[in-house]
This record gives sequence, C-alpha cells and structure tokens, in this order.
Amino acid sequence: MPQPTLAHRARRVLSLLLACLCLAAPLGAYAFDLASLQQRLAATPSLAGKFTQQRRLADLGTSLDSSGRFSFVRGQRVVWQLERPVEERIELTPEAIVNGSGDRTPPGGEQVARLFLQLLEGDWQALASRFEIALAGDAEAWQVTLTPKAAALRERIASIALDGGRYIDHLTLRTPGGDTLAVRLYDQHPLTGEAP
Amino acid sequence: MNSPGERPPQATAWRWLGWLWLGVLTLCAVWLGWMLRHGLPADTDLTALLPADRQVPLVEAADRQLGEGFEDRFLILLRADDRVAATQALGDALETLVDDGQLARVDWRELDLADADPHDWMGPWRYRLLTPTWQQAIERDGGESLVEPALRRLFSPAARPDPVADPFGLLDAWLARQPQSPIDAADGLLTLDAQGQHYSVLIGRLAGSPYALPMQQALHATLEHFQQAHPEAHLLRSGLMFHAAAGARQARHEMSTIGAASLLGVLLIIGFVFRSPRVLAQLLVPLVTGSLFALALTLGLFGRLHLLTLAFGASLIGIAIDYVLHLQCDRAIHGRAFRLRRLLPSLILGLISSVIAYVAQALTPMPGLRQMAAFAAFGLIGAWLTVVLWLPRFKLHASPFTARLAERWWRLCQPRRRLPPWLALGLALGLIVLCTLRLTSDDSLALLNPSPAELMHDEAQVQQLLERDTGSRYFLVRADDTQALLTRLAALDQRLDRAITAGLAIDYQSLGRSVPSAAEQDANLARVRTLYGAPLESLIQRAGLPADLAQAARARLDDAPRLTLTDWLATPLGQLQQRLWLGQTESGEVAASVVVSGARSAAIADQLKAIADAQPGAIYVDRVARIGSLLGELRRHTAGWIAAAMALMTLALIWRYRGRAWRVVAPPFGATLIVLAVFALTGVPLNIFNQLGLLLVLGIGLDAGIFNVEYARQPSAWLAITLSTLTSLLAFGMLAFSATPALHYLGLTCLIGLASVWLLVPWVRPREPASASKAPKAPKAPKAPKAPKAHFEEKSHA
Repeated sequence: MPQPTLAHRARRVLSLLLACLCLAAPLGAYAFDLASLQQRLAATPSLAGKFTQQRRLADLGTSLDSSGRFSFVRGQRVVWQLERPVEERIELTPEAIVNGSGDRTPPGGEQVARLFLQLLEGDWQALASRFEIALAGDAEAWQVTLTPKAAALRERIASIALDGGRYIDHLTLRTPGGDTLAVRLYDQHPLTGEAP
Repeated sequence: MNSPGERPPQATAWRWLGWLWLGVLTLCAVWLGWMLRHGLPADTDLTALLPADRQVPLVEAADRQLGEGFEDRFLILLRADDRVAATQALGDALETLVDDGQLARVDWRELDLADADPHDWMGPWRYRLLTPTWQQAIERDGGESLVEPALRRLFSPAARPDPVADPFGLLDAWLARQPQSPIDAADGLLTLDAQGQHYSVLIGRLAGSPYALPMQQALHATLEHFQQAHPEAHLLRSGLMFHAAAGARQARHEMSTIGAASLLGVLLIIGFVFRSPRVLAQLLVPLVTGSLFALALTLGLFGRLHLLTLAFGASLIGIAIDYVLHLQCDRAIHGRAFRLRRLLPSLILGLISSVIAYVAQALTPMPGLRQMAAFAAFGLIGAWLTVVLWLPRFKLHASPFTARLAERWWRLCQPRRRLPPWLALGLALGLIVLCTLRLTSDDSLALLNPSPAELMHDEAQVQQLLERDTGSRYFLVRADDTQALLTRLAALDQRLDRAITAGLAIDYQSLGRSVPSAAEQDANLARVRTLYGAPLESLIQRAGLPADLAQAARARLDDAPRLTLTDWLATPLGQLQQRLWLGQTESGEVAASVVVSGARSAAIADQLKAIADAQPGAIYVDRVARIGSLLGELRRHTAGWIAAAMALMTLALIWRYRGRAWRVVAPPFGATLIVLAVFALTGVPLNIFNQLGLLLVLGIGLDAGIFNVEYARQPSAWLAITLSTLTSLLAFGMLAFSATPALHYLGLTCLIGLASVWLLVPWVRPREPASASKAPKAPKAPKAPKAPKAHFEEKSHA
C-alpha cells in the first residue's frame, strides 16, 4: 500500500474535523448550559413562595432560624417578609436594602442586595466577573456552584451553591469562618399582576 | 547730535548720557541674570497680592490641604449604553499611561478601591462610639426600644450577625452616620448611581504636576482616541489637570489666532507707513530695554515677582510705543530738520503724567498693586530713556511716502467744527450720571478662571453627582490640645445639627462626628454597659440563642480601647478625612476644618457666620467669597488711586496749559467715560481687569491729548497719534476676543477706550497752533465754534 500523501492526510484530518463539528453542533444546542438555565429561570418573570432561613454560627455552635414568605420581581426587587421569630419586611432592590421602617440598612447593603438579586435571576454574566461558576446536572435537577475569584471577596464568601429545577430550591452561602446561611424556597408559584 | 557736522557741547553731553544709559542697562542685564540664576522667583497664588499682616497662615494651610485632592488626581464619569465594554476600553487605555509613567495609578475596577471591611478594623472601638439617637434611646429606657430592631437585624438575609461581638449592631448604626462614598461596585466596575443613570467611575492619580505638558498631551490623546472609538460614550471630567490642560491649549490656540493677527496687523501698518523694516526693529528696542530695566529693578526691590505683575506690567509698558511713534513720525517727516528739543517737553510731560498714575498706585497698601505699579513705572522710564537717548542715533531711512501720507491723512481727518467746552462738559456730566446709575461691578472668582464653559459644566455636574465639594466653605476650629479641639468640634457639630434640623439646607464633614472626646467615649461605654444588661438578655432569649452568650458579649467591654484621632486618621475611612486635620499650628495650638457642602446663599452664609461667632475658637471661611473680596479690594483701591492720579494730572496740566487743559484731558477722560458708559449700558460689570485696561487707555489717551495740543498743526503728530492708538488697539484691543475672562475684559476696555481716544482727538484739537518751541505759556486759544450741532465731516472710510 502506498504511503498516504501529505494532501491525503490533510484531507483526512479536515473531514474528521468537519465530522466532529457536525456532531458537536446539535449536541451544543441541546446541552444544558448556564445560558439555558438562565433562560429557564427567566421564563418566570415574577414569583412568590415561602422560605426558611437557617444561619449557622460556627463559633457559637448555634443557629438563628427564621421563616416567612417572599416575592420576587425579576430585575426589580425581592421582598423578604419575615414572620418568625420577628415580623419584618425587608425589600432588596439593586439600589438598597430597605427595612420595614424605611431605613436603608445596613450601610453598603446595596452590594449584598445586588448579589442576592443576581443569584435569584441567574444573571451569570454579571456574576462571572467576580465568581468562577460551575454547572452540573440537567434541566430538571441542576446545581450551580460559585467560588469568588478575588482574594478580597474570598475573605467574606467561601462559596455559594444553588440548586433547583424549574425554580431555585436551595441557596447556601458559606463563609471562610465556617458559618453558613441556608435558605430553602418552597411552595413557589408564578405571580400574575403586582407583587405584594 | 543727529545732524552730522554740527556738534554743540550739549550734544556731547547728551551723547555721554546715552553711553551712561547703555552702561546702566548692561548692569541691569547682568544683575537680572544673577537674580534669575535659579529661575524666576514667581508667585502664582493670588493671595500673595494681599498685605502680609492680613494673610492668615492657618487659612492658607487649610485652603491648600482641602484643595489637594482636586490637584493631584482626576476623575472621569462614563455613561454609555454598553457601559462595561466602554469602561473596560478606557480603563485599559489609561492603564497604559500608568505603564508609561505618566500616571501613578488608575482605579476603575470594583476591587481597586475595596478597603478591608470596617467591621474588621473598627472592632475594638465600637463600644465607645454611639450615635446621638442611640445615646438618647439608652438614656430614655435603658435601651429596651433597641431590642426589636436588633432582633430584626439578626434575621435579615443581608446582615452578617455577630451575636457575641456586637449583638445590637452598634457599629453598623455608627457607620451609617459616617460619610459614605456614593461610589460603589456594579458589574465589576466602580459605579455611581445617580439620577437614574449608571456612571462608571475612573479615578486617576497623577505621577507629577497637573501642569506637566507630556502627561496632559498623553491623557488628552487617550481620551480623544477613546471618544472616536466610542462616540456614544459620554464622559464627564473633573480635576485641576483638565482645567490646566484646557488653559494651556486655549493659550496656544489664542497665541496662534489673536496673537498672530495682531502681530501681523502691527507689522503691516508700520511697514506700510514707514516703508522700512528698521523702524519695526527700532519700535521693539525701547520696549525690550524698558522691560529689562523694570524686571531687574522690581525683582531687586521686591525679591519676588507675581505672575499677574508680569502679565499686566508688560502690557502697561506698551504705552511706551507712543514715545517711539511720535519720535519716528517727526523724524520721518522732518528729516534733517528734526530737532529732539522741540519734542522733548511733550515727551517729558507724557512720561510724567503716566508715571504719576503709577506712583500713586505704588503708594497703596496692597503689595500686588505696588509691585505692578513699580514694574510699569520703571518700564516706562526705561523705555522713555532709550527713546530719547538712543533712538535718534539710529539711522532712519525716511521714505517721502510717510510725509505725503501724513499730509493726506491730516487733511482727511479735519473736522469742520470743533467741540465747544460747554458741550463737552454737558456730555461728560450726562455720561457720569449714566455711569453712577447703571454701572455694576463683579469681583467673582470666575474672572480668574479661564476654563471653558463645557469643562466647568462637567466639573459642576461631577461635584453634584458625587455629592462632593472642593472644600470651598469651611469652619476653622482651634484649641489648645486635641481633647479640647474634639470637644469644640463636637459643640460646633451640635450647633450645626440643630440648624440643619431647623431647616438649614447644608451638610458637613467633621472629625468630631467620627472621634468623640475621651470623656464622651467613656460616657458612651457606660451607656453600652446599661444596654448590655436586661435588654441584651431579652434579645438573646427572643432570638433563641444560648443564654451564656450574654456573659461572652459583656466580657468584650472590659478592655475596649478609646479611639484616638491618630488611630482614626490611620483607618481607611479616616484617611478620607485627613484633609480636615491641620495638626499643630505655629502658635502651638491644634486645628481642624469642618467642611460645609450643600446649598449656597447669602442667608446661609450669614447663618454659618453666626454659628462660628457663637462657637469659641471657630471662624467661618468662604474661599470663593474671600478671593472675591480680595479682587474687590484690589479693584476699589485701583479705582481710588486712578481717580486721585487723574486729579493730580489735571492740576499739572492746568498749570501748563491753562484754558486749553481741557483739550488735553478730554481724550483720556472722555474715553474713560465712554468705556464706563458703554459698560453701564450693556451691563458689563466693572472689575479689576477692565480697570487695568483703563490705566492703559488713560496713559495712551493722555499722550495723545498732549501731542494733539502741542502740535495742533502738525500732520506728523496726528499720524503718530493714529499709529499709536491703532497699534495699541491691535496689541491689546484684540484681547477682547480671548476666551480668558481677565484678558477679555482688559481687551474690551482697550478696544472701546482706544477707539474713543482716537475719535475724540480731532474734535478737541485747538484751531490755533501752539508752537512747541514757544513753550509753556501759550496764549489762551480762542474758543472754537458756536454751532453745537452740525454734521461734521467724519473720518474717512478708505
């Protein structure tokens, strides 16, 4: 058998490449990636539901537990209606965190509020500037893990984990000190009309 | 002396004087060279013009310190649809300037300004820092009312509760009252949200002076390039550097337009009249020697020179061009028949009258004016001596054209009627009334500000968006030691807080808000101990936290340190306030400033002044008003002394000219009145700069008046007057088109004033020749025509 010429070999490589591309294209279209997750979350522009929040304080070996209702309007605000152990309405907008008495608190809270909104919206483009983002699972059961890129942010946040299906079901934030904030969202349903 | 062959003894003496003068000039040049061996010791600070005893060194120090942030950095706000990409592009472009060493650094990414969390470094001090609201709450009910908010805070998703270190959130409450930067982070960029817009913030720190030309050009090129690539991006710029760069660009631009046009105009006119390039050179020699003489003597006398002195003094020496032109016109027309002696009396009178004005000015208590007057007077004397001693020695190739031109021009400009004195007086009175009724004055700082309106608009918008100020209004507080100062600051803050609650629309920044006095800090700790009693237990119980937590929390109070001023100024937040701390003064006291921002009005200024008066050790300073009042003082002083000089000159002229004196003073005084009347009618306010212009008009007008009367029948005098007003008009009047307010006003005054001088001269020319060789006591000229109204043959429109 004659040795394949250079031209021959180049053609073989090329066709192989083409084959790969042809295979990859439909795969890419159907694979569950961050963009499709964002699309899926965006399908519900506003929703309401209940939450439980557990803040575990590692140093004290104890936790602060609370529960209540929430509503969320994409791109605008989250209202966190605390019912137990104390009544409080906390509204997070991209501009500020406003409590029930209308005070902006805590100072610098708008950054926290913005992060919270971006997480609930699955705004990965905005988050990608500060976090490494990893996605696992499929459309019905997905998990996203975010790790801070910069050292300054790593001092405050060790990691953030989200999981869910049609909606976000759990949000867990870990600090380097070992504290965790675990939020469970349940009884979620899309809102029609205005949020509370 | 000028006609070869005949050489009387006087001529020899004259010749010797000439050589002596040359020797003096050489000495001056050497002396000046020696004084300038380390560069020109020039002042640029306007306050250097103030009398020394009135300068408060501490106010100067505060001014400097508060202005620093504006000088050594710049700030750009960027707004664009694709904000992130545009900011990235601009930020990267600016970073290359840092790599080139033009800038020290650029902050624009989210983390560029990320200071460590205040919770980390404010920790140990928090128990001694309480806001007034919390102090009152604890004093009212022991702090029970603070439990409910603390509970809510513990369960907020956004809070970072620390039930042991700070269960009530003392620090957050205290931090909320500290000055907050409106700049925060979004999309990974430093961002300012204001008026519904997102602006990216880019902060540059300069590696050197804001006046460094290479840096200005590099930054300008970078921004231009960026705007071309991103035409949709909108930039707002702030910082002294941009103003300095705009000033330099404008000066270059005006030099190549206005400067070139006036130079070309002067060259064309002189070239046309004298048909000889030599005359041009000879025109410059007296000006150069005059400036040399003035520079050497003024520097020798004062030790330093203010830049304003240099700029305006040099313009005033321009009057010396009169002497040159009168001499040269006479020589060109009379040729060999020229005799200096015939011209000398008028030249001397012209010099004396101008110098009187400056000597009067030199007697004022304002060092700035004194310097300027000395410079102008020395310059005029120097130029005059050169004209008289040296100019006749230079050869003049008189073209017969000059004489023909003078003759024709003379005939063309003969008015058939002349202005009767009573009409002149009536008109003058009318104009005076108009001026007193309508003339306004303006001493605002804007006069000294050459920045283009667009940049000023940017600056104002940036200040407004950032809720920042350049520290132009402040209280200066002094005390014997730091504790006493903190107590005074706290007292002043309290007065201000009360006034603000009562509706005073200002805000303020004070060290007193951040660092309470030691006594106050001890009292705060006692209050916190009260709060950590029953209220703490109730909080822990309601939050469902373990009961032993209370003990751990209380233990933290035991070794809570006091926050000292030094501690505070070293923290990231305190560093922002370092500009407020003035430290030890020369008299051994300590001082700090309290910067006021917010609304401005006369009523607010009065209220702030009253607050300062009520507070021992405090004074209120408004930099803008201070510079304004300084400019106003300069203006009033000049005006007063100009008036005094005018009166003195009039007396001297009456002594020499008797009844014809009014003809001499009519052009300068008339022109002054016309300028003022035009200003009054058009609403141009009077300021220090158009008054300096009036000095120029007066000087040139007076020379014109003297020569007009002395040589009423000589075409050469009229040609010289025409040339001198025309060239001065070109040299100074053209400045009216400058965008720099100071130059614009000087130019505008010269433009109107010199044109008026030139128009007035033929009307007041005596019909009778008053031959100059026949000197002082010429008979009274019969007063001219009776018909007040008639159409005069006006000037040509050739």
